[in-house]
Amino acid sequence: MLQYEVIMVILGLFSWWYGRGWAGVLKSTQHRLASLGEMFSIKILLNTLFAPWRRIITYPGAGLDARLRALGDNLVSRCVGFTVRFFVLLAAGVAFLCMIAVGILELVVWPLTPLLAAALIVKGLL
Amino acid sequence: MQELDLHSSRARLARLGKAIGKSGYIGLLLAAGSCVVVGGGLAFAHYSIGYSLMGLGLLLLMPALWWQYELSNVPVQSGSLMNRLSNDCLVLLNPKTSYSPQTLLKALEPNWQALLLGNHLLLPLDRIGHLVSDDPTQLGAVLQQAAQIADSYHSTSIEAGHIVVAILHSSPAVTGLLTKLKLNQTDVDAVGGWLERNLAAIRRKPTNFGGIGRDWASGFTPHLTQFGHNLSTAIERNGAHFGALVDSPGVADIKTAFSQGAAAIALIGPDGIGKTSHAYALAQNVLAEAQDPTLAHKQIVALEATAITAAANRPGELEYVLTSLLNEAVHAGNIMLFFDDAQLFFQTGPGSINAAQILLPAVQSRAIPLIFAMSPHDYEQLRATNMALAGLLTPVVLKEEPEAEVLETLTDNASRLELRHHLIISYEAIKAAYRLSGRYETDMAYPGKAIRLLEQAMAHADHKVITAASVEAAIEQTKGVKAGIAAPVEADQLLHLEDAIHERMINQKRAVEVVANALRRARAGVSSPNRPIGSFLFLGPTGVGKTELAKAIAATYFGDESNMIRLDMSEYQQQTDVSRILSDGKEESNSLLLSVRQQPFSVVLLDEVEKAHPNILNLLLQLLDEGQLTDSQGRKVSFKDCVIIATSNAGADSIREHIEKGEELEAFESQFTDQLINSGQFKPELLNRFDEIVLFRPLKPDELAQVVRLMLAGVNKTLAAQNISVGLTDAAIAKIVSVGNDPRLGARPMRRALQRAVENTVAGKILRGEAKPGDHLELDEPDLSL
Repeated sequence: MLQYEVIMVILGLFSWWYGRGWAGVLKSTQHRLASLGEMFSIKILLNTLFAPWRRIITYPGAGLDARLRALGDNLVSRCVGFTVRFFVLLAAGVAFLCMIAVGILELVVWPLTPLLAAALIVKGLL
Repeated sequence: MQELDLHSSRARLARLGKAIGKSGYIGLLLAAGSCVVVGGGLAFAHYSIGYSLMGLGLLLLMPALWWQYELSNVPVQSGSLMNRLSNDCLVLLNPKTSYSPQTLLKALEPNWQALLLGNHLLLPLDRIGHLVSDDPTQLGAVLQQAAQIADSYHSTSIEAGHIVVAILHSSPAVTGLLTKLKLNQTDVDAVGGWLERNLAAIRRKPTNFGGIGRDWASGFTPHLTQFGHNLSTAIERNGAHFGALVDSPGVADIKTAFSQGAAAIALIGPDGIGKTSHAYALAQNVLAEAQDPTLAHKQIVALEATAITAAANRPGELEYVLTSLLNEAVHAGNIMLFFDDAQLFFQTGPGSINAAQILLPAVQSRAIPLIFAMSPHDYEQLRATNMALAGLLTPVVLKEEPEAEVLETLTDNASRLELRHHLIISYEAIKAAYRLSGRYETDMAYPGKAIRLLEQAMAHADHKVITAASVEAAIEQTKGVKAGIAAPVEADQLLHLEDAIHERMINQKRAVEVVANALRRARAGVSSPNRPIGSFLFLGPTGVGKTELAKAIAATYFGDESNMIRLDMSEYQQQTDVSRILSDGKEESNSLLLSVRQQPFSVVLLDEVEKAHPNILNLLLQLLDEGQLTDSQGRKVSFKDCVIIATSNAGADSIREHIEKGEELEAFESQFTDQLINSGQFKPELLNRFDEIVLFRPLKPDELAQVVRLMLAGVNKTLAAQNISVGLTDAAIAKIVSVGNDPRLGARPMRRALQRAVENTVAGKILRGEAKPGDHLELDEPDLSL
């Protein structure tokens, strides 16, 4: 009876490993990628890529001097904004690539783990 | 019929997960890690066994991951009942047991949901098992009902809570027990719903509010950070927990108004309706908003007038601060300003800013979304004083929700209090808070007033459990009313109220009886809760005990003679006196409504009521009918815990004539009332509103003698401080009665007669040294200085 129970448990483990467990790895990767996108505000950063940085600009004044100054400040602020956002997007891209690589690795290694374990045990015993 | 199949694969997996447990999981992880590390080391040192250890480590890692992602909480599946039964239930059930509703309830007792249900209903589940069927054939129906309950909450899983609710519903004996606890099956459903909302809160995934770059395109707001309170940041920091309010009609109305181009919104509602909570809920809603560009990722900053005035020390600084706050908010681009207690920004006076002229251009320019929270009265006042500004505001009116919705809000707030203060709030306490705050907190609206009462009840929790008694104790303490069931001592006092009143009142048995009956009805909860405890019209000659009976009620029922609000209605004969009666107390220090608001549990004595202006008598009709009046500020003042006594000398001569003819009061009561109506002294609609019209008859000489003895007891009470007592012989009493008796003035002259006869005599003896501490002076007729 106990042997039957043990066999059922082992069968259950392998059935999960190659079924819902493997699918779960894929889902987990998708979830992590989505979270990463939200954390880095990808959509917002793309929509506001050329927007001024924290709106540090002077108000357009009545005189030409003030208008020129505002134009200059605005350009600087937008440059700062673009630079920061660009590098954050770059970092997000790198993080995405890493996450995708890890995900693919997990998906590949997962089904091989039992085989790898068996191979290592056999290699050690031989 | 669906049965429990505890040999199913899900049930087996759940039990396996329980057997491994968290400690087993940690052990597997540690063992796997150790094997991999040690094996790796050995392999590196060219020991081939190291490879085997690494392989073993990987094998151990597999069940650890299995437990982590599956066995610790075997996921539910759609379809059959067994597929939907939650992991928490499966782990508590034994496959070798044949379950009945009774044994299933026992098995589920340790589950937290069952415990919470039992605690909220004050039902000890471990002691009600015998009330539930032990017939296994009944189980199918119970499980079927549990599935229906889960469906009604759109829950894919059947939880322990659903099953316990179904079991409680299945037993008529439990229904009987609930009745004894003043609960019913609808309350069980309500508590089930409360549990379901808790479950939803636990399952809710963290909300993403935009990520790190959200505010990079918005301006810095140093002034707003200094003077305002950012509701959105508070929500991000403390978690989104405004539940159903986030999608409430009020929040939806605000969003719609802004989407349709509203310049600013007047959020109108009475105190307690939840204007500030709506602002928080809006902040939470807007943080998650991604569709509407006018609202997406906007932050709500609340401004308080008091904080701004406190910061402005020099003339003109106030205007400067407010202008820079508005400019900063406009410039930032992602700010909505919320003015809590907005009337403070439009008034002059302590803690107020008359900032209408600064705010008007901001509203007109539509540069920034503004929300002004104010009461209906303040909104009307703004319309009256500054129509230009008020006309630009889009009103969003918050109204009190129906009872079921308010109770849901209360239970959600109760969960918050339970978590914060580590206590249990029973559902009967929540119902009591709703009922009692509705009755006694007339200044506020739901749900605020009931939430405040629940918070006050925490101080009266018994062993960390808040029950209806805790809530009653809280309202008794804060309002000075009697809300709970009469304790045995008090019940005994009520049953013998006549005796207590007669200790200080002579005769007038009928008057005392009708009043005592009314008080007993009110205290036992038999009389209508929507009218005053009792309303009486006392008619009779002067000096027969009408006022004394009112005082006796104040002393015996309300605890002290001072619990009496007395108005001489002869001072309210002009039409303009109506405003004095309805004054909120600011202009009229002796306002009736202010006194009742401060002291709602009182005797209200309206002397010489027939002399009041007819418009005031019309107010009295409303008071007696509805148990409340509305003051000049539009606030309701409850008289539902007052005894209203109106006195009048009208027809006193007629009463005297009837009594002198030897007639009993009851015999001519009806005829006398007709006489009062026919003579135009009272309108029939007023007389009909009183619970009882009580006739007082003139006192006979022997009763006057008893009055003298009562007054003498009062004199002795005063003299007790000097340890001197005084007595009167029967002859002396007879003499005082003969001197003090005036058929037109009743017992009133008796006080003066006693003063002259006894107090003057005793004072002389004390001053001459003839009366020393410890002496008893027995005065006879010749001793009296009359």
